[in-house]
Amino acid sequence: MATMTYLQAISSALRDELRADERVLVMGEDIGVFGGAFKVTDGFIDEFGSDRVMDTPLAESAIIGCAVGAAVVGLRPVCEMQFADFISCGFDQLVNVAGKMHYRQGLAVPITVRLPSGGGFSGGPFHSQNPEALFMHSPGIKVVAPSTAQDAKGLLHAAIHDPNPVCFMEHKHLYRRVKGDVPDGVYETPFTARVARPGSDLVVICYGAMVDVALSATEDLDGASIEVLDLRSLVPLDEEAILDAVARCSKVVVVDEANLTCAAGAQVAALIAEKGFEDLDGPVVRVASPDVPIPFSPPLEAAVLPGVDRVKEACRELLAY
Amino acid sequence: MSSSPTDVGGALVDVTMPQMGVSVAEGTIVAWRVAVGDTVTAEQTVCEISTDKIDTEVPAPASGIVAEILVDVEQTVEVGVVLARIDTGVGGSGAPAAPPAPDVAAGPTAAESSAGPSGSSASPPARSSAGPSDSSTPPPAPRAHNGAGRRYSPVVQRIAAEHGIDLESVPGTGRDGRVRKQDVLAVVNGNGSHAAPEAADPPLHIESPYRPDPVEPAAARPAGTGGAAAGAAIPAAVTSSGEGLSRMRRQIGEHMKRSLDTAATCTTWIEVDMSRVEAARKRLGVTALAFVARACVAALREHPALNAWLEGEKYTRVNEVNLGIAVSLGDDGLIVPVIHGAHELSEEGLAARIRDVAQRARSRQLTADEVRGGTFTITNPGQFGSIMATPIINQPQIGILDFEAVVKRPVVLTDAEGNDSIAIRPMTILGLSWDHRALDGALSAQFLAAVKRNLEGVGS
Amino acid sequence: MATDIATPTPEQVGEHQHLQLADRIWLHRAMLLMRGIEERAMSLYRQGKVPGSFYDGFGQEAVSAGAAFAMSPEDRLCILHRDLAAHIIRGVTPTRILSQYMGRAGGVTAGRDGNVHFGDRQLGCVGMVSMLPDMMLVATGMAMAFKLRGEARCALTWFGDGSTSRGDFHEAMNWAGVQKLPVVFVLENNQYAYSTPLDKQFAVDPVERAAAYGFAGVTVDGNDVEAMFDAAREARERAVSGGGPTLIEAVTMRMHGHAAHDDMKYVPREQVEEWKLRDPIDRQEKRLRGLGVDVGALRAEVTAEIDAAAAEALAGPMPSPESALDGVFCAGESEPLGDGQAPWSGFSRPRGDR
Repeated sequence: MATMTYLQAISSALRDELRADERVLVMGEDIGVFGGAFKVTDGFIDEFGSDRVMDTPLAESAIIGCAVGAAVVGLRPVCEMQFADFISCGFDQLVNVAGKMHYRQGLAVPITVRLPSGGGFSGGPFHSQNPEALFMHSPGIKVVAPSTAQDAKGLLHAAIHDPNPVCFMEHKHLYRRVKGDVPDGVYETPFTARVARPGSDLVVICYGAMVDVALSATEDLDGASIEVLDLRSLVPLDEEAILDAVARCSKVVVVDEANLTCAAGAQVAALIAEKGFEDLDGPVVRVASPDVPIPFSPPLEAAVLPGVDRVKEACRELLAY
Repeated sequence: MSSSPTDVGGALVDVTMPQMGVSVAEGTIVAWRVAVGDTVTAEQTVCEISTDKIDTEVPAPASGIVAEILVDVEQTVEVGVVLARIDTGVGGSGAPAAPPAPDVAAGPTAAESSAGPSGSSASPPARSSAGPSDSSTPPPAPRAHNGAGRRYSPVVQRIAAEHGIDLESVPGTGRDGRVRKQDVLAVVNGNGSHAAPEAADPPLHIESPYRPDPVEPAAARPAGTGGAAAGAAIPAAVTSSGEGLSRMRRQIGEHMKRSLDTAATCTTWIEVDMSRVEAARKRLGVTALAFVARACVAALREHPALNAWLEGEKYTRVNEVNLGIAVSLGDDGLIVPVIHGAHELSEEGLAARIRDVAQRARSRQLTADEVRGGTFTITNPGQFGSIMATPIINQPQIGILDFEAVVKRPVVLTDAEGNDSIAIRPMTILGLSWDHRALDGALSAQFLAAVKRNLEGVGS
Repeated sequence: MATDIATPTPEQVGEHQHLQLADRIWLHRAMLLMRGIEERAMSLYRQGKVPGSFYDGFGQEAVSAGAAFAMSPEDRLCILHRDLAAHIIRGVTPTRILSQYMGRAGGVTAGRDGNVHFGDRQLGCVGMVSMLPDMMLVATGMAMAFKLRGEARCALTWFGDGSTSRGDFHEAMNWAGVQKLPVVFVLENNQYAYSTPLDKQFAVDPVERAAAYGFAGVTVDGNDVEAMFDAAREARERAVSGGGPTLIEAVTMRMHGHAAHDDMKYVPREQVEEWKLRDPIDRQEKRLRGLGVDVGALRAEVTAEIDAAAAEALAGPMPSPESALDGVFCAGESEPLGDGQAPWSGFSRPRGDR
């Protein structure tokens, strides 16, 4: 057991995998000599060499496409998008080539795509996005989003071991802000939800950076007993855990940092409406970024991203309902 | 032309730990290049820092004299922490040192009006009072129906069906009197009105249209911290302005309407000579209300049929008199604290309790238990001079006594020999609204007569 | 421009340095099977037995046959939709191909995808997607893995003239050049991308771009199956010996419409007439006749094989509707591509003797 930041946990998982499995290689822009834009692979090139810690051309489509090619002939590539936003340039390879491969021809594509996502630090419209829902809507791609250091490492190990394409949403805002005890060695965190704090009056369903927001917002909310459910995995979505929480709490606030329309939380809300209806004691309330690009200037960004106050407000309203 | 810029600032400019990359949260001072008292020019390096991603120099944001150095070498601080302050005051050389103004209102407001997109729950809540009023109440909750045909949530209906509970008779504690899951569960668990009458816990009723959240031990709550106490008793909606009704007002309205839709309300009046009360209250230093309350309690003991609840077809007579006293909260509405065991109190005792609960009602410090379990209610809006009213019964009680102003009138007195004379007496008109489903006019008149007798016999 | 290729090599009947007679018959047979299967599929399409759309490679048979024939079992292929002969050479049977066209359970994708959108993973092939030329990057990635592991293998993919306009063409060419990967890019220049002619697609013949990416580019008569074989064999040799990628521009002509629904009215009649004279099957048949091969018997044999395959495919079941939900994700261990067939006699000879 060691105390690590979220970022160190990700590095640790990558290092352990590179040591344990010669099929694993990491590839991306500026990840080798420079150690990555966020220094996740800092120093890796010295231990593993430039073949396995590969500085690629500035070509996101090629990073994904070449990873697919390497994967189908036996490697386990881990791609880094410098920012999750740039996955738009590799979207076609991920969605059309990787995502549909196994269904069409029974050929597994064991690649992991690391996506540094999220806002909260004046990254502006092109360095703050949360594109996970795009891939929830694309069959054949798994999507996970850790909120703690322990899950960051465990989910990354599980993603690399998984025989399918996995989008690993790592939230930039958590990199150096979240610290926690992380077990030693290789371990897998299952692609299931986690009860971050049990409760009985209302459940806040969220993932990624919103887990901390939800925990802070509801730590002491007028004495109410509020559960926080950390989804951890968006594909597969842990329907059982969601419906179980709804059955116990009957009131639900779903929080997304992503833009509201068709965000992951929309799927959660739809699931509850369809399969948890009989357990509801109020409308399913959603808190998300409005449907605008994430603005740059701090007051503008703060006005858009969901924060503690908005979550509190939503919970209070629903509790009183 | 006034020389505002230099007057205002005090001219101290902060040097802060910069954010060297989006994920960097903290930095460490490696070395200071300046000392307190040194003169610096804008852009001149003041210190060297080290962060997770990069080592760099921090330039002075303004010219001036180093006034303070707040963080030592080797010390690690979070991004944004003030490292030093530069005094730009004297002479104001060159850079007018605009203080790094913490966000001004113009920013967010502009954002809202330009973004202002969906108008749904997605829009960022407008914190400023200028913002659109609906954004402070995000969930576009379906409104409960008034009166008959209330709507129930799926889980409430399911639990009710599983336990054979008639939801129309379950009091709701949610918004607009909505029946919440905990309300129907309270009935299931025997805490509700469907529990056997002999159950130890007092039945859960809403005498007040508005009540604090029933869960927490309210006594332990400190008043006025961060609005938390008020948050439980009187949530934000009460203070919200704008076109909509406050939550308390909506609840009162809903509750009153439901009472009128439920009860067969009749009102009977009686005139009372308050001469003896006036004399006694001056002697004891208590209000007339305490005497009315005492007389009312005694009348209820005499006519216990009015000290009861009627829920649907279920009529429950209550032994104890738990007397509700309506307390005005000014513009916010009113609340009805309950004096439990009122039949055991003297005039002075009642006066003290009335004073106590009224005070705490106005400072929003009532506990949940203090607003429930009432068996009869007195309302007393007469201090402004009004003389008659038709009060609305506080469900599921069956009677409410209205006590208005005491005014001097010429009255005809008949002495023991049957001789009439006219005298000036302090008079009041007591109004009793009663539920014709539970009793008839004769009994209500007898009850009023008993109150009158008790008041006119004070001290005798 | 690319159409100005040298007159096709005269139908030389002499010895071929790398191809024995059996190899040359194999090449012809692969082309005959491709054309025969596609003609049968078109007929089934008109009978309503083939759903959706139908695409063929009529007139382009040499491009896939010649290039695929040069690939070893361990090499990996990403095959384009007008390259059926490559599948045939790797070992996909006519029955499975016709079942695939008809959306039957016995097709290579068991009905999940149609027409030539398939690859038999057990035969070392990755099926194409419609976004062209996405598979250039997949082939580049496979080659990258081979190089990282120090294996003497290559990856080969085909793509059309229209594909050269898309970004993935650049990204793949650049990446392969930067990392000097063992990959063979076959640009199948068939004069039209759907209805768009070459002069609306590029200003400079794409084969000339290869030099800018740091590797060799050659133009080949795409209607001469043996010339195609030669170019691909050389490219493969370069690849597996560490010489990096090769761009082969195979100049050919799409003799049918883009798909069955396309009447090709945008193509000048004389252009079609001119290319008819260069039909790759006629040319190889002439060669083999000169070598004393009974080409009539070969044709009859191929026709009989296709008849039997069509009957078998038509008798096969459609996939069960419930199977539509299966296999989106891999549930067990991932299994990499298997090895394909490689009928060229050269692979059974010592390398220096090929």
